[in-house]
Amino acid sequence: MYIYRLVFLLVLAIYIFSPNILDWWTSPGNAWYSPYLIWAGIIAIGFWLEWRRDPNEF
Amino acid sequence: MSFSAAGLLAASLLYLVILFAIAWVTEKGTLLRHWVRHPLIYTLSLGVYAGIWAVYAAVGVAADSGYGFLAYYLGISGAFLLAPVLLNPVLRIGRAYQLTSLADLFAYRYRSQWAGTLVTLCSGGAILALLSMQIQAVTTSASILAPDTSPQAISVMFSITVVLFAMLFGARRDQKSDNHQGLVLAIAFDSLVKLVAMLVLGGVILFGVFGGMGGLEGWLISNSSPATTMTLSVDDGSWRALMLMSFAGALVLPHMYHMTFSENPSPKALAKASWGLPLYLLLLGLPVPLILWGGQALAVTTGPSFYAIGVAQSLGSPGLTLLMYIAGLSAASGLMIVSTLALAGMVLNHVVLPVKTPRDQGDIYRWLQGIKRLLIAGIIFLALLFHETLGKNLDLSILGIISLSGVLQLLPGALGVIYWPEGNRRGLIAGLLVGLAIWVATLVLPFAHTTNLLALLDAPLVPDYSNWHIFTFISLTANVAVFALISMVSTSSNEENSAAQACSLGALSRPQRRELLAASSTEFAQQLADPLGRGVAKREVERALAQLKLPKLEYRPYQLRRLRDQIEVNLSGLLGPSVARDMVKRHLGFKPMTRNGTGQDIRYVERALGEYQNQLTGLAGELDNLRRHYRQTLQNLPIPACSVGEDGEILMWNHAIESLTGITADDVVGARLMALPEHWHILLDDFHHGDELHRYKHRLDLRGKPHWLNLHKAALSGPDHTEGGSIILVEDQTETRQLEDELMHSERLASVGRLAAGVAHEIGNPVTGISSLAQNLRLETDNPDILDTADQIQQQTRRISTILQSLMNFARTGNRAHANRYEPVTIHRCVDESINLLSLSDKGMGVHFVNDCPPNLRVLGDEQRLVQVFINLLANARDASPIGGTVRVSGNGDGYSAIIEVVDEGSGIPADQLDHIFEPFYTTKAPNKGTGLGLSLVYSIVEEHYGNIQVDSPANPDTGTGTCVRLRLPAYEPETGTTTISQNERS
Repeated sequence: MYIYRLVFLLVLAIYIFSPNILDWWTSPGNAWYSPYLIWAGIIAIGFWLEWRRDPNEF
Repeated sequence: MSFSAAGLLAASLLYLVILFAIAWVTEKGTLLRHWVRHPLIYTLSLGVYAGIWAVYAAVGVAADSGYGFLAYYLGISGAFLLAPVLLNPVLRIGRAYQLTSLADLFAYRYRSQWAGTLVTLCSGGAILALLSMQIQAVTTSASILAPDTSPQAISVMFSITVVLFAMLFGARRDQKSDNHQGLVLAIAFDSLVKLVAMLVLGGVILFGVFGGMGGLEGWLISNSSPATTMTLSVDDGSWRALMLMSFAGALVLPHMYHMTFSENPSPKALAKASWGLPLYLLLLGLPVPLILWGGQALAVTTGPSFYAIGVAQSLGSPGLTLLMYIAGLSAASGLMIVSTLALAGMVLNHVVLPVKTPRDQGDIYRWLQGIKRLLIAGIIFLALLFHETLGKNLDLSILGIISLSGVLQLLPGALGVIYWPEGNRRGLIAGLLVGLAIWVATLVLPFAHTTNLLALLDAPLVPDYSNWHIFTFISLTANVAVFALISMVSTSSNEENSAAQACSLGALSRPQRRELLAASSTEFAQQLADPLGRGVAKREVERALAQLKLPKLEYRPYQLRRLRDQIEVNLSGLLGPSVARDMVKRHLGFKPMTRNGTGQDIRYVERALGEYQNQLTGLAGELDNLRRHYRQTLQNLPIPACSVGEDGEILMWNHAIESLTGITADDVVGARLMALPEHWHILLDDFHHGDELHRYKHRLDLRGKPHWLNLHKAALSGPDHTEGGSIILVEDQTETRQLEDELMHSERLASVGRLAAGVAHEIGNPVTGISSLAQNLRLETDNPDILDTADQIQQQTRRISTILQSLMNFARTGNRAHANRYEPVTIHRCVDESINLLSLSDKGMGVHFVNDCPPNLRVLGDEQRLVQVFINLLANARDASPIGGTVRVSGNGDGYSAIIEVVDEGSGIPADQLDHIFEPFYTTKAPNKGTGLGLSLVYSIVEEHYGNIQVDSPANPDTGTGTCVRLRLPAYEPETGTTTISQNERS
């Protein structure tokens, strides 16, 4: 369960600070599509994690 | 630009006909069927989540709160990116126990029909608002395009189409695949249409309105107000609330649960969707700012929520306008179809079936299908009613908020399923009731413009559009607090604990090994015939047997317990977990518990651990490796062993006992000792229940041969293992016993030999005396009668002397001490000498001896003793040969050995006598013709010479006559001067 506690804390932290993160993404100096770029980056990490996953894992 | 009502209706119908065609072709043909299981189709079908938010509402929210609209997409993207820890466990439980909805999951985990019903009612209430939102979006968009059309007519037409589709493709249940393949592909097509339309519109706006990226940047610089450029600071509260509701949506929205878990083709597809759905939603959200800016730039008159249609109209493109309308229609219809279907399943399992169990129905499957169709129609009718009375006056976003905050109340219970085994049904129901009450009082009633309780009570905070998130959080917090508090102070039933363990992450259920009332699968069908009807009961039992790959008739207790679980799982897919559980509990009951309770189902746990192998890591993995090591040790133990539970159930059956008994472990593990073949059953059952711990040399006749077995027993109970039972070792002592018998036989022969030698010695003296007296008698008389008698006496005493000499020789053999004095002997010469000696006798004058031994064939040995061997063999051959027959002696060397064969043409030796001819005193000759010691002597002398002897009879298989005696003696090799005898001596 140790790993799940870490994941839970991380998710909670991201959730709480998500409005600030979004404000940072959409600050006036950035391009209008920068939130999408960062979102795409997170998807890429998700893809990479799924790709290197053990095929036997459920 | 506007359309005629008929044209719009025709376009809508055409699109829905295409949707019907896709679903129909998929269900009927194989053309599209192999596509359905592709992860891409699965991911696209999950796009049903977006609904009309994707096309309309997102732009409206973007106009109000900038990038805040992304919360609706980012929340669920987060849930899918966390799929391995959030969605996979639910998928695993859902697949294992056939739980097709969230209500099923709750009813199974919390072991409460009330939990399932409450979840159904909560989802139903919340979903009505969501369905109303879809109807409103379609009606409004149609009204914008064809202002003359009656909105009621549009909503009714649209609802009827949805009802038809859901009834045709959703209510049908494929017994083989358990999936609605046509529906999945149609929903995926919906999602694709939606995405393509949005991207096309975004592209047209970017390049047609702004003239590319440069133009857009220029427009944004010239319109720099935060409201226009979407750089509004996000409102923390509503953003967080929307994020949380969106995150929860992955689990608690009925249509998302249905598409994610019930229609899931494989865990691999979910793994792909974990990044695939976020990517899809990103593409869907990408054109939203462009549409908003396009609408502002073109000064579109429709509200921001319908900019997608307004912009297309302003651009003057009927094709694009129709495309956007169809996109909205597809988004709304997809969501409505799936959520109605999911809700109908929940209502069927948790409202209808608990009230009315289908007894005395001819075909239960058809009955269920009919009820489900009625429910689909009823739900859509209710949604239409809600829309017409309330929903059409509410804003799209408020409808969405009411709906999502309602299903959000299910999140604590859903997370409790996976992460909190201590949570119980009392806590869940109390928490849900409190949360739902707050939700109704602070969100539903005020926003539905019916009653604002807080305003009536003059509360400091009154719900309005700007603070809805506060009440969402209050209801959820109260729900969680009550759930946690009551769960901690109240106790859970054993049944609930076991279900909680089965659902917990990485936990294994540890079922009890109890005996069922039904003793065979046939009795299962008989007992289930009462609630299900004979035909359905038989079909369900056969289906479960086939799924478990069991024989048609099953009687093993362990397999019957598995069969019972499988039937419960299958019935759960059909009737919901509560009804299935009740039915199985009532009709497939266990016998009452014995006073000591029963042991754990070791085999069940082992099997489950085997399936978990790849998931165990760290300490658990090491322990599992250790378990496998000890298991393998027991399995490969060269001593036959089995372990037996207190109740006589076989728990382990290793490889050695498999080969001893010829019964495989698969056949008996999990069965009673009684199920073994009779002789094994009597032996093991008697020993298992008896007091003795050891039993020696128990004779058991197996496959027509006697076996001697030693049995040992040890009790399994100990300080770490309180359950009874014992381990039984069965040693096969048959070979040892045979060796002992042979040894005793040899000992007896040796005693006979020693006795014979002693007797011979003692008899020798008087016989010599008698012989001397007979000789004297010849000198003392001339009476011819007396002389004749004296001759005969002398003849008989010579005969006695010969017998005694043979006996003495026999007794003298076996002493190998003089082997060191052996010298090279030429076989040819030995045979010649033997033939010469035999030819002195007047017997067998008509028999020819032929010596074909090569002159150079030599062995190390005692020549006189070897002559004795040949005299005996040749004399036997001569006696057996017919007159005029030939006895041939041939020989050859094969390097280490000299092989000499003595072949006659006699009648041969019968097969049953062959085994005895070397035994002392065994003879086939007539009385007074042989002593029965000749071949024994030969055998002993050949043994003394480290050789062996072999007899083949008949020597000539064609005529069936003749005997061949083959001697094999170590050859003498003059070149090296060494022989294999030295090796033999060492050995």
